[in-house]
Amino acid sequence: MADSKRINKEDTGRLLDEWSKEFSVSVPSRENGMPAMLPWDGKDTSFLEWYRNTVIPPKANFFPPYEKMFDFQKGAEGYHLELPPSDKQKQLIFGIRPCDARALTILDTVFQDTYQDPYYLSRRANTVLVGLGCTNPYDSCFCTSLGISPGESTDVDLMFTDTGDGFFIEPVSDKGRELLAATGGLEDGLEADEARAKDVKEAAYRKITRRIDTGDIQQRLAACFENQDYWEKVAAKCVSCGICTFLCPTCYCFDINDELSQDEGTRFRSWDSCSFPIYTRMPMENPRQEKWRRVRQKVCHKYWFYPVNLDITACTGCGRCIRLCPVNWDITQTLNNLPASS
Amino acid sequence: MEQRLRSEVKALLEQGKIDRVIGFEPGSLKFTTTPLITSDGGDVDHLVINPFIVNNLSVYLTGTSGRVGIVAKGCDSRSIVSLIQDNKVLRENVVIIGIPCSGVIDLTKVERLAGKDRDELDDIVRQGDKITVTVGGERKEFPASEVLFDNCLGCEFPTPREYDILLDEPVTPTPDKAISEQKLDSLREMPPEQRWQFWKEEFSRCIRCYACRNVCPACFCERCFVEESEPQWVLPVPRWQDNLIFQVIRSIHVAGRCTDCGECERACPVNIPLRSLTREMCNLAEELFNYKVGIDKEAPPLFVAYELEEAEDLIR
Repeated sequence: MADSKRINKEDTGRLLDEWSKEFSVSVPSRENGMPAMLPWDGKDTSFLEWYRNTVIPPKANFFPPYEKMFDFQKGAEGYHLELPPSDKQKQLIFGIRPCDARALTILDTVFQDTYQDPYYLSRRANTVLVGLGCTNPYDSCFCTSLGISPGESTDVDLMFTDTGDGFFIEPVSDKGRELLAATGGLEDGLEADEARAKDVKEAAYRKITRRIDTGDIQQRLAACFENQDYWEKVAAKCVSCGICTFLCPTCYCFDINDELSQDEGTRFRSWDSCSFPIYTRMPMENPRQEKWRRVRQKVCHKYWFYPVNLDITACTGCGRCIRLCPVNWDITQTLNNLPASS
Repeated sequence: MEQRLRSEVKALLEQGKIDRVIGFEPGSLKFTTTPLITSDGGDVDHLVINPFIVNNLSVYLTGTSGRVGIVAKGCDSRSIVSLIQDNKVLRENVVIIGIPCSGVIDLTKVERLAGKDRDELDDIVRQGDKITVTVGGERKEFPASEVLFDNCLGCEFPTPREYDILLDEPVTPTPDKAISEQKLDSLREMPPEQRWQFWKEEFSRCIRCYACRNVCPACFCERCFVEESEPQWVLPVPRWQDNLIFQVIRSIHVAGRCTDCGECERACPVNIPLRSLTREMCNLAEELFNYKVGIDKEAPPLFVAYELEEAEDLIR
């Protein structure tokens, strides 16, 4: 590849240093007790050894667990709103996995639908995504069933492939091409690197053995939508916590709350989950009182309603919902065991 | 034990003594099990007992109708007793199938010792007090005390005291309070400011998924105080202050009901050491009231009982 580059692994820190001059750089970090994309401390590159994927998905870097929307004061002539200063800082996320990068493309469809969400979109516009292909996917990963390759991505700006001692670097977007051109200290990619990278990508692809059949999934979900017995059976062990939705890289539901004191206050938004019995009880009632309806909603939203409404499946096969579930509720089993008809 | 479990459950279902069973079946990931809740006799052969049966299945009792057979380790059976004391479960509606339990393997500890993630391990085998982990063809042996859950290491009642069927001979308890409360001890030694800072940091990463609450059999409130909006005791916004208040109130609510099953801490996706709070509640219940949870189904629940001579000390 003509515009590809290469770098030795031991020079990763230097590269991140250089990028830190222009960007706020985030990398996989366990500093906060579990893996998440956190600001680079300027020295630690040990994540290159342990990093497989984060617990907190990188969606949190754009759509955090909670954020202030605005402050407000009540005055004589109504309410005065004060927006938080818009975040102009350019950020660079280093090491995002192809599944999580695709998840951002999926989230874009929601946050720039009829309403343009300024909080999410300004962060997206200010961010460069540097992807890092998987070499060691988890046994819970099933990205290949969703048309994603663990080693490749069209959803990042630059793509890194681990070739053993170093990385093979490919620009994916114009943004990535510009960044690469402006980055010093990189050697041109060699044909041997490219060949090695191809092998690594193919090997990663083959390592993913968990599968779902997405062929006629909308029809199959529609056919058993009314099959209460099935949904009750698969929902029985669910404890209705928020792990699978909060830590899903594509789930975007949020709640809005005001903190009030006298005539002023702050409006926050924070992650919400369709698994919770009290979901949407604020505007009215939750139409899904029974657990099986909530489980059905989660599955159908991702694989049926989302594709119909936004032409994209809201699952990337990252496997967090399986890996982190306290009762091992497994969406791939629910999908693969769908009865042929009700 | 597994064979006997299956035949007992099959018989109970066939004789109509139970409508459904709550047990464990193999999980979809390596070294995991998953709750099996079924009325279908055909599922009974999936039931397993192994050192990975982590869940406290009694959490499902309040939401399950009819007469229920339930597989229970020592701690789980105490949770069932506690639910009976609180009138959340009727004794005659449950058939407790007791497992004398010699502890459950904490995969996080295995991963740390082996230097590999769960799915990268070839095998984990328990034989008595030794646990052999095979990684990349290489066998490593660890004493159970390094690999079992902290709460298991301090367990005083490994064998269910309340049961209808006991699947094996009782296990002799070997509680080691010091090992079991290592984390808690390090917190006790901290000056208050440092301890405050510790919890502030821990609760800064809470995302309020409520897994801790939802896996907890003692958290049986139909409406949790965090979900009240009039008045709103705590905002659903996961700021550390709100998170801490949520967890402190939850810990106090489960005091006298918590059996130290450790599920809250295990379920937490962001690794907050919640058991340090709940274990301390167990200790306090014992120190202040000489009360061990889930031992006597006839006893009134700790904070429901009231004796006049206690009141003054409490208020003072």
